[in-house]
Amino acid sequence: MTTTDVPVSTSVAGDRRAMLMRLAPWAVIIAALFVLPQVLDDFWVSRVTGWIPLAVAALGLNLLTGYNGQISAGHGALFGLGAYAAALTINAREGNFLLGILVAAVVCFFAGIIIGLPALRIKGLYLALVTLSVATLFPDLLKQFESITGGSQGLRITSSQEYRGELQEFLVEWKAPSWSGLTDTQWKFYVLLVVAIVCFLMVRNLVNSRMGRAIVAVRDNEVAAEVNGVAVARVKVITFGLSSALAGVGGALFALKELQLSPNSFVLTISLYFLVAVVIGGPATVLGPAVGAVVYGFFNDVINQEVLPERFKPATPLILGVALILLMLVAPGGIMGLVRQFGAWLSRRRTPPPITRKASS
Amino acid sequence: MIGFQLSEFLQYGVIGVGNGALYAMVGLGLVVIYRSTGLLNFSQGEIAMFSTFVVWQLHDLGFPLPLALIAGMVAGALFGAVVFRVAVQPVGDPHTKPLAVVIVTIGLFLGVNAGAQLIWGTGDRNMPKLFGGGAVQVGDLSIAWQKIGAVAVLAVEVIVLYVVFRRTKLGLAMRAVASNPESSALSGVPVSRILLVGWGLAAALGAVAGTFAAPDRGLNSSLMLLILVYSFAAITLGGFDSLVGAVVGGLVVGVVTEVLPRYVSFLSKMPLAPAFVLILLVLLVKPEGLFGSKQVSRV
Amino acid sequence: MSLLEVKDLSAGYGPVAVLDGLSLTVAEGEAVVILGANGAGKTTTLRAISGMLDAKGSMVFDGQSVLGARPDKLVARGIAHVPQGRGTIVDLTVEENLRIGGYARRDGDVEADIDRWCEVFPRLGQRRTQAAGSMSGGEQQMLAIARAFMSKPKLLLLDEPSLGLAPLVTREVFDRVGELVAETNTAVLLVEQNANLALDFAARGYVLESGRIVGQGTADELKADDSIRRAYLGGDL
Repeated sequence: MTTTDVPVSTSVAGDRRAMLMRLAPWAVIIAALFVLPQVLDDFWVSRVTGWIPLAVAALGLNLLTGYNGQISAGHGALFGLGAYAAALTINAREGNFLLGILVAAVVCFFAGIIIGLPALRIKGLYLALVTLSVATLFPDLLKQFESITGGSQGLRITSSQEYRGELQEFLVEWKAPSWSGLTDTQWKFYVLLVVAIVCFLMVRNLVNSRMGRAIVAVRDNEVAAEVNGVAVARVKVITFGLSSALAGVGGALFALKELQLSPNSFVLTISLYFLVAVVIGGPATVLGPAVGAVVYGFFNDVINQEVLPERFKPATPLILGVALILLMLVAPGGIMGLVRQFGAWLSRRRTPPPITRKASS
Repeated sequence: MIGFQLSEFLQYGVIGVGNGALYAMVGLGLVVIYRSTGLLNFSQGEIAMFSTFVVWQLHDLGFPLPLALIAGMVAGALFGAVVFRVAVQPVGDPHTKPLAVVIVTIGLFLGVNAGAQLIWGTGDRNMPKLFGGGAVQVGDLSIAWQKIGAVAVLAVEVIVLYVVFRRTKLGLAMRAVASNPESSALSGVPVSRILLVGWGLAAALGAVAGTFAAPDRGLNSSLMLLILVYSFAAITLGGFDSLVGAVVGGLVVGVVTEVLPRYVSFLSKMPLAPAFVLILLVLLVKPEGLFGSKQVSRV
Repeated sequence: MSLLEVKDLSAGYGPVAVLDGLSLTVAEGEAVVILGANGAGKTTTLRAISGMLDAKGSMVFDGQSVLGARPDKLVARGIAHVPQGRGTIVDLTVEENLRIGGYARRDGDVEADIDRWCEVFPRLGQRRTQAAGSMSGGEQQMLAIARAFMSKPKLLLLDEPSLGLAPLVTREVFDRVGELVAETNTAVLLVEQNANLALDFAARGYVLESGRIVGQGTADELKADDSIRRAYLGGDL
């Protein structure tokens, strides 16, 4: 006869309840997002749509910086690369949006692998320096390769249409299929949202997998990870690739949302805002980047556009910068970290500390 | 290289040296901070830009430019010291928590940039030239007094820094703290006050660089954005902890990024590319740079 | 009256408490040793006394409460700490290390004192302008001790001066420090693995276990104590 300590609550029903508790926030968030376009007018739906690419790019950066500990201050360049790759693909392939997203992901994956290789030797602050210079260089690259990217003129996603008997290039338009009963703007929101949700679910599964544990182990202690059989170099390079692929998908979504691109959309600050989104949302949490993107979007599109008078428009980055520093000092876990602390506090208050009983078997 | 003319080449070189002097000035500040706190300060350029606006403001109020510059240096030093004490120091050691430190300097970057826009608007302000608009003619070559002045001021900065670091008690304490903060504290050195002085010194150097940069580039909140990247390239090449390295690196980067794009059409629209390649190659091949100490290779 | 009087001192690293209500005293000019196993909190005790760690409790030095004072202020008051692993400033020259040692002094004799210490330790004198990092372990230990004396301390905290030194060198270091503290009437609080050596050097000792004082006595009493002999003196003397 053996005696083991078993927490009282452990039972099949309890397991199921715990799982429901874990999935509940996801279900609520996804449901809320699907209802959103029904309660907002098209103007606001369009603005909120603009937050989705940022969320996906921040998701990618979080995988690299939050989970794997490699600091990139240059994901805006990969975001831009994805945007241009998608736009060029769609232009060449007569408006195949999905193919554009896939090409962006693949191109950026390999670009990420290429950046990830030197990053094996260049770490921490120095990697931040290198990636920061990539981000600064990127708009110049676009201007240099004008024949492909359109340079400062920019690049439009177009399709050929017959106009007065001639084939001409027209800006692609979003058309909601008639069966959906949605406006074009709503349709666009849903398409981008679905792609984003797929990305978030993929990252959620990744970080809960063996590979995900390896990614975190490398961040916490490379030597210990190596000793425990993690192929540190491979994990780091692949993480860089996956992170970049997500940034590329974010860029592709940006291209699909805007339908025209210019080097001005991919200056250094966009890279910095990705970092802001990751840190404010909560590094190394799945939903953090989405939360961060919403906070950033809220500042940029609501407070800046609607609340602040013209004279005080520059205050937004000032507020974000101060918030960033404060957050780093008092709550390095970001908003998700605070939510977790609050949740833990709640459950401590609601349920008495777990009692163990002697269970005989 | 069709139509290569020596005089033209030299003229580009002169422009490059003038720019390089600016990169070296900012680089000196970056080195001072790296040596004392082991940190790459991504907000250095913005602090310099802010101090430059202070210089402009004082000049605009009627102070003579040299006086305004000195006042701007003092204001910048105070600003840098406050920023360090309030935002940077509480975060902790940059080598164990690089992400936190990067985030804080980026927060500063965004905040200071926006702060300057709030106070002085988004348009360009006109900063007069410290050494006037004239130029010296040497054969076919025209060398602006402003550039000669920049190089001369850079030389003065180097000499002053050398004397401070090698000949004063303060400089000795700064070197001690950079090498071993704990033993320094146990020997009676007030470590955080010394670090504060380092940040102030770096910010003052930035104000000088900004005042030289502003007349040609137009004074606005993005004045130092590119200069900062070139300056980082300079200290990467020279060695993150070497004052001499910052000067040599700054001049090399200044000349290379000015001359190369003139002759290599592939680079014509991206003068930043050589700077970037330099940063990448040096960090990969010789992380301590030309003059840095080996320790820096703990990258 | 004691020079240093520590009562109920608690300190640690972040949430980890290492010292748990520790009390000890050091009289003027007295040499006291703290014995204890690895992890008992010996180094932490010294670090708390020199202000490197936040501590709770009470600490009176030279008649004034010094709890919570910064290390550089304590140096000025007269507490000098030679940390474990020597703690020389390796990028500075020997001479500069000594000058840093006198940083908190306000009198004008610092330069003269540097000359004096270079005479006391001739090997330092020979290497005056050489980087401290280029010297041998024994020489660096001498330098660290000389640097501590440069602040004219009333109390010298010595953390494992024998660490990494050959037995002969260790003996020499202890002999020299013994002469110097006698000469200058400096009190010493010593942490040392080599208990035989330490109890020859010190007049009195404390036994530290899990952050608390569990025994104390004169050096002779401690040497005679069976349990201490078994635990710290390697069985038979």
